[in-house]
Formats: sequence, structure tokens, C-alpha cells
Amino acid sequence: MVEVRGITKRYGPHVAVNDVGFSIGKGEIVGFLGPNGAGKSTTMNILTGYLSTTEGEVTIDGMPILEYPEDIKRKLGYLPENPPLYVDMTVTEYLKFVAQIKGVAKKTVPSRIAEVLETVKITDVRKRLIKNLSKGYKQRVGLAQALIGDPEILIFDEPTSGLDPKQIIEIRDLIRKLGENHTVILSSHILHEVSAICRRVMIMNLGRIVADGNPDTLAIQHSPTGQLIVTVLGEGEKARATLADVAGVTRVTDRATEETGAVEFVLDTDGDVRPKVFEAMSSAKLTLIQMRVNTMSLEELFLQLTSGEQEVPA
Amino acid sequence: MIAVFKRELKSYFLTPLGYTFMGLFLLIAGFFFSYGNLLPRSPRYAQFFGNILFIYLIAVPLLTMRLLSDERRLKTDQLLLTSPIKVSGIVLGKYLAAFSVFLITLAVTVMYAVLVGIHGDLAVAETIGAYLGFVLLGACFISVGTFISAVTENQVTSAFFTFFALLFIWLIDLVRQIVPMDLTSGLIFAAVAVVAITVYFYMNTRNLVVAAAALLIGAGAVTATFFLRQEFFLGIMSDVLDWLSLLARFGSFSLGILEFSTVVYYVSFTTVFLYLTVQVIEKRRWA
Repeated sequence: MVEVRGITKRYGPHVAVNDVGFSIGKGEIVGFLGPNGAGKSTTMNILTGYLSTTEGEVTIDGMPILEYPEDIKRKLGYLPENPPLYVDMTVTEYLKFVAQIKGVAKKTVPSRIAEVLETVKITDVRKRLIKNLSKGYKQRVGLAQALIGDPEILIFDEPTSGLDPKQIIEIRDLIRKLGENHTVILSSHILHEVSAICRRVMIMNLGRIVADGNPDTLAIQHSPTGQLIVTVLGEGEKARATLADVAGVTRVTDRATEETGAVEFVLDTDGDVRPKVFEAMSSAKLTLIQMRVNTMSLEELFLQLTSGEQEVPA
Repeated sequence: MIAVFKRELKSYFLTPLGYTFMGLFLLIAGFFFSYGNLLPRSPRYAQFFGNILFIYLIAVPLLTMRLLSDERRLKTDQLLLTSPIKVSGIVLGKYLAAFSVFLITLAVTVMYAVLVGIHGDLAVAETIGAYLGFVLLGACFISVGTFISAVTENQVTSAFFTFFALLFIWLIDLVRQIVPMDLTSGLIFAAVAVVAITVYFYMNTRNLVVAAAALLIGAGAVTATFFLRQEFFLGIMSDVLDWLSLLARFGSFSLGILEFSTVVYYVSFTTVFLYLTVQVIEKRRWA
């Protein structure tokens, strides 16, 4: 549905987006994750046709955005980082204006507005001036604006920034719901937000995509291979000896645990030894209370991928 | 375009801007009408427009300062430019909104003409001509203001530069009289123009080959003209300035003379500036 091929955006010598390519299928919920200045907003501005690329092209449903700007913009709903609101208008006036420029058929405008107001739950403030609304409500008006043209693809740039925790949860739920029948692309610099909403994450750093995949698989893929964490009740010494005897375990290291009365070990292993560990513990009459593959948390992965790299020269 | 036009027109009257513009315009106009026509009991109404021309210097920057600059500052341009409408539609809608506010304001002054007509002998053709000229002149100035508000991101800067641009247009006829007319200065002027165009090309493309080509073509054209039609350079500066001389062309209107060429000139001037406005906005996406 969305195809991005080798897009690069330069501002003079500065490269904001560097040779980025990906493709997003219908119905996916994709999150762009990256520190501030990683190129997320620039990428989104390019996807929506607000900015052009220095190199590369974006096609949506097979149509290059530069050749069919109007057809493509009809398919897109965009909530930029700062919601583009005319604050001197009331919510309804504003949405009516947006509906007109998005090409909503005149007859359906009032019903469409009512529908969208209901979706983002702002029906009660529809007659108020936007400038008098709270930040959370303004953000919802921004969402309503993106939805009003009934687009297939929704692009949200940092949809929850600046909101309080309750509002964040509400907006997230709303986005998840929208994801049921839209293709959603969103960006965030907050990690658990992306992993909570999206089934696919693209991590950006310094204008490049450094990782792309399911948040869980990503963490496993990038983990140090072959480590197993085992938590056993009681008898540390016996457990350690038993574990060391299991075929395929090359090293046993102690690990601090907060579980009372338990000990925890990190096993360096050769291949998947989980069944053997289980059997060994069972025959030694040791109580195994937890066993998991040592994966990096998404947080650790994020930090690893986005730190310690040099700025990409032009 | 119609949606943008309607929203913009409404926003003039949702903010103090529209009222400030109307108030200021009508205050100055009323003052000059009182002193020029009412108190001396003069029926020469067309003259009134000649007296209040300077109103544009103050009123147009006010009218156009936030037209496009505010969209950029408030990032609402992201909504407009990612919607399925053309940039030309946005610019035209906004321009027409500003122009309409101006027309509505000017419509109030028709009352003055009626007043003169009731109590004296109103030269109808002359008055209509003066109105037409005044409106066309306004159209030109508002297009300059629209252009400047597209290149700035701040209302104050926008108003400031619009004022100076209009002031320049104002003084052009004075400048024309003092620029040198001889061959040498004409050649220097042409050379400077060629260099300026080259620099412009280079700044935009960052391509030395293109810039060098532009320089060579320009230099070649100047040299060729010098040998073939030397008289071209005599008074070239004055000729160029004449293209921008809006006010000198207004004179005939207030005499009741409708010159087709002047109408075409005013309309073209406006079109060029609106075209440049569209280009500036389109080009920014490529920057």
C-alpha cells in the first residue's frame, strides 16, 4: 500500500533522512521510534507530500506522490506534531472547513462531522472556540481533523506528546481502535507506547532505519544469543552443580534476584537446552520456578541501536 | 479555493485585523473627503482618490501581513498542503479574501459619491473611472503584500517589508528621474543584472555548471546587443523602473480616461505576483 524507495532529504549539508526505504501493507499499524531529531517527522512530512524528497520516491497504491498529489492526499489523514488548528474557530466550524478542503461531499459534511466528533469523544465541546480548549482536547480536534476525510491511511506524528497519563491511554485506545480498519503510521520517542500500539516498529536514528520488525522478535533478534535465565527455589549450590552438568550448558553465572528464597543463574548455552534443564531439575527434585531466554528489553535494544553512532556525513 | 476564501474572509472579522483595517481606511478616507469635498463644497470627487492614495502604504501591510506568514508560523500550512487542493487555489482564495475586505471597505465610500451626487454635480464617468483605477491599484498592492507574507514567517516582518516594498513602488517615479541615462551606466546595469541572475541560479541549484552557463549566456546576450543595438542600453534603468511604476498609470483613471493597456498592465502585475507567491510556496517544499 505504502512504498518508500530510497528517500533522502538534505537541508544543505545536513542529511535529515538518509536512504530510507520500507513498505507498509494494508491494515498494518506501524510505529516509528527514535530519539528527537532522528528523522521521524521529516519522513512523515515526506509521506504526506508536505515536503519533497531530495532523492527517492514514495508511492501509495502504486501512484507516485509527485505525479498524483491530489489522489494520494485524499487517501491520507495527517496529524502533524503540532495539530494544525485555526484557534479562532469553533470545533465545528473548523471541522467543516477541513471537510471542505478534504473534498467531503457537501451533503454528508454534517453527518461526517457528527460521526468524527463521536469517535474522538469531543461532541460536548463542539461549540467552543479551539483556543479555549485544553491540550488534550486540542489533540483530539487534531485527530478529528485527520479522520474527517475518511482516509485509508492515518499518519500521526507523536500523537500523545504533551498529554497527561489518562489522556495518553485514551488516545492510545483510540488509535488501536482506528487500526482495526485503517492503515496507521505513527511516531513516538516513547518506547512502550510504540510497543503497546504497534505490531511493527521501525527504529530510526540519524536519518536511517536501524531496525524494522515486530517489537518482540526485534528484541530477540538483537539479543546476545544462547543465554538462558533460570530461577530455582532454595539450595543454590546443588542447583548450580546440576545446571553445570546439563549437556549443552557451557557456563553458569550467578545473577541477583529479588525473589526471596530463590537463586538465579545465567546459563551460557549451546543450542536450545530448555527441555534438558527442565528434566535435570526435575530429577534432582529442585523446584524450577522460572526459565526464560535472555532477551534484551526493547528499551535496551533501542539504546543500543541509537547510541554510539557518528553523524552520517553528507 | 472557495473554502479557503470563506475561512480567510471570516477570520478577518473574527480577529481585530479586519476591523482595524476598515477603521483606519475609513478614518483617513473620511478625513480627506471632509476636507477635500465637504468643507470646501467641491463636487470634484475623483480628486479624492488622488489624495488618499497614500492610504495603501499603511493599510495594505495591515491587510496582508498574516495572510500566509501566520499559516507557516502556526503550522496550519501542514493541513492545507497535505489536503487535496492546489497551492494556486490556496493562494487565490487567500488573496481574494484580502481583496474582498478591501472592496467591502471601499464600498462604504460609495456613500460619499452619492452625497456629492445629491448635493452637487457629480462627474459620473470620472468617478467610475477613478473607482476602477483605485480598485485595480489596490489589487496590485495587495498582491505584493500577499507575496511578501509568503516569504516571511512573522506578521511584523511581513508588514515591515510590505511597507518598504510599497514605499519603493511609490518613489519609483522620483528615482526614474534621477537615474543616469548614458550608455556606460546602462551597460553596468545590464552586467549587474546578469551577475544577480547567475547568483540566483547558483543559490537555487548549487550547481556551478548551470551558473556558469547562465553567466555565459547573459554575457553573450549583453555583448551581442551592444554591437547590434547600442541604443538599447540608453535609459535601460529608467525603462526597467517604468515596468514597476504603478502610480504613474493611475493618473489617467482619475481623469475619467479608461485605457485598456493600463487595465491589462495592472491585471498582469497582480497575476505575476500571485504566480510568484505560488512558486515560493511550492519551492519551499524542495528546499
